[in-house]
Amino acid sequence: MHGLLNWLDARTGYRTLMHEALYERVPGGARWRYVWGSTLVYTFSVQLITGFFLWTAYSPSAQTAWESVYYIQEVMQAGWLVRGIHHFTAQAMIVLMALHLMQVIIDGAYKAPREINFWLGLVLMQIVLGLSLTGYLLPWDQKGYWATQVATNIMGITPGVGVEVQKLASGGNSYGHATLTRFFALHAGLLPALLIGFLALHIYVFRRHGITVPDPKRAPDTTFWPDQVLKDAVACLAVLATVLALTLWKGAELTAPADPSEQFSAARPEWYFLFLFQFLKYFKGTMEVVGAIYIPGAVMLVLVLMPILGRSKIGHRFNVFFMFAVLVAAGALTFIAIREDQQDPNYAAAVTDAEVQAHRVKELAQSPQGIGVAGAIELLRNDPKTQGAKLFAKNCAVCHRYDGKDGTGKPVEELVGDKLVPAVATATDLGKFGSREWVSGVLKDFKKHFEPTTHARFDGQEVKDRFTAGSMAEWSESNAKEMKPEDLAAIVEFIVDQSGVANPPTNPDLVAKGKKFFSDGSEEVQESCATCHKLQPRGEMKALGSGSGAPELTGYGSAEWLDSFISNPGDKRHYGKKNAMPGFADRLSRQDRKLLIDWMQHKWYEPAAKKGQ
Amino acid sequence: MTETATEPIPVPKEPPRRGFVTGFLAVVCGGIAGLVPAGAGVTFFLDPLRKRKSSGEGDASGFIKVAALSAVPADGLPVKFPVIADRQDAWNLFPKEPIGAVYLRKTDKGEVIAFNVICPHLGCAVDYSNSSKSFKCPCHDSSFTLDGAPSNSIPPRGMDTLEVDPARLKQGEVWVKFENFRTGEAHKVPKV
Repeated sequence: MHGLLNWLDARTGYRTLMHEALYERVPGGARWRYVWGSTLVYTFSVQLITGFFLWTAYSPSAQTAWESVYYIQEVMQAGWLVRGIHHFTAQAMIVLMALHLMQVIIDGAYKAPREINFWLGLVLMQIVLGLSLTGYLLPWDQKGYWATQVATNIMGITPGVGVEVQKLASGGNSYGHATLTRFFALHAGLLPALLIGFLALHIYVFRRHGITVPDPKRAPDTTFWPDQVLKDAVACLAVLATVLALTLWKGAELTAPADPSEQFSAARPEWYFLFLFQFLKYFKGTMEVVGAIYIPGAVMLVLVLMPILGRSKIGHRFNVFFMFAVLVAAGALTFIAIREDQQDPNYAAAVTDAEVQAHRVKELAQSPQGIGVAGAIELLRNDPKTQGAKLFAKNCAVCHRYDGKDGTGKPVEELVGDKLVPAVATATDLGKFGSREWVSGVLKDFKKHFEPTTHARFDGQEVKDRFTAGSMAEWSESNAKEMKPEDLAAIVEFIVDQSGVANPPTNPDLVAKGKKFFSDGSEEVQESCATCHKLQPRGEMKALGSGSGAPELTGYGSAEWLDSFISNPGDKRHYGKKNAMPGFADRLSRQDRKLLIDWMQHKWYEPAAKKGQ
Repeated sequence: MTETATEPIPVPKEPPRRGFVTGFLAVVCGGIAGLVPAGAGVTFFLDPLRKRKSSGEGDASGFIKVAALSAVPADGLPVKFPVIADRQDAWNLFPKEPIGAVYLRKTDKGEVIAFNVICPHLGCAVDYSNSSKSFKCPCHDSSFTLDGAPSNSIPPRGMDTLEVDPARLKQGEVWVKFENFRTGEAHKVPKV
């Protein structure tokens, strides 16, 4: 064995190389404060390893990026672990970089002959920040997409070349396929290669000068191996433990697929850029370039000049002071940013919204329909549960309520002066529309049900008691308390049956009884429904009643009826001349009406465990 | 101000015992720190070896409807039919796509025999030659009789037969349990 190693050494000289590498002298003894550089080499190696493995499964296009990351995270074995390590190690690198820079500045290790090495370090810092920025966009989720938009917009306001730089970074005038391919080429190709190159120079120059200690007698001199290596290894293990803890406890996040048309109010940069995010709030309008480019540029300039400034004792003190001042300011700004967000109910609502969307899209991706070629973004766009609620909030909640709210669970408010106050509803609450409870309520106390309409205006006129003092209100008032409970149940069952989507399904006997009540009334209710209303029962050829001045109830509550009603409530089939609701035939596309109607009928996908709606 | 190094410290030839323990611990710590991310990465990389449940091609027992019985010629000559099913490719579901093809022919006993068109030699699609009434593979000249048996020594086995649902055959429909097999082997082994 020994002979073999001798043979190898004669041909490669490996023993000298290893000796050089391992037995570097460390005057003043191995120290914990020297570990940061090694931890950075370690974390970079971890990123190379995990990054490569992620590369074997990631697909950089606008239709496949989110989808491949979802697949890695949720389906592939250990995908969540590899991604989690990659995500949190990236964050750790920022912290370690700061610690390394602090140690170098405090110990004055930028002084001659180490100026070039310091500048090489600053270049490495820019590369690491570039890796963070490019990596953040790659999942092509809402958070990464909108946060990176801010970054490229900032590039755009750079004086002189800003516009061109922004176009080159984005791959065009707006984000799309080309943005991803460019960012990915930078992230997996150019930047790691540059980092390795500059790191090699950095280590070479560092080894050339060795370590200089202010007090060499503080501890006996030792060698890199094994004393410093042990401290470095322990520090690396501590970093790994932290990364694993965060992966297991939090996991790398994946918000909903990037949607250029969907507002994402929860967009924030990663925590290590929050200070810049907060800082920019103080530079409004055209002053933004000062806060985004000039001041950060000035700070970088001071950093670059530190080796020269630090030649004198007072210069060195200034450098240390400046560093602490920047850290304290950044820390304070970060703290303020977090606190402002915590105290902002709109932000909290946006975060909750984002979580709901992210959860929902993953549910849909796991449904039998799976992810189609157009990508996961279509899943949310075609989901009645998501879109119906939004459509209601936008179009209907102006007048109506849904269980007292706007359909998405938020209260309906309006600005009075400069305060937000609850808005008064001017149309009925549709939360339980089409249910037995709903129909029962309409029949038993029509006036109460239509009370909100008394506050409405339509077509320039006040609606007042058009509905609450009309013939149906009268019928309800005189007959409801007279009706036998079983007759009420029967007529409700009959009406609900017309939709074809009653849940639980209708009882045929009760429906038949209800049909009779509809046509003939009862002992207590002489004025039957058919006196005013026309209704062709579901599946039958003949209509009951003749319909004079009252809405036709054929197919009441069905998808077809809802579409007809929403499109044109003023049609003689519905409210006719009494109508007080705008028509949506032109205001809502067919697709949107379908989403809204499916939502109102609770027709959306639910995973098996939760079924029962 | 800089300090220059003083006399170089001689490096001991034999590492002291304290040095050995330190070195050992350094290797252990460094080893763990390195092996954990590498191990996670390799585990992840081996994901394709994991057995995944079938993507739900066909009905509960895996049969897919290929043709009406009337479409298979009565004279016993084979006709090629595409096999249409949902296809799962990583995260994408492609509904109702051609996932392969089969030859169907009526046997003398009135049954229908189904062959996977993939040649068991090296995976090309086998052609049917009407002039010679035999199956011929265009890639390396594998040749098979109408019963799927090899008629030269190029293929390692005959054409791969697929199960045909007898119950549905009686009702006039040809349902086939479509699957692919490993090439280059003497026995028919499913590709799972």
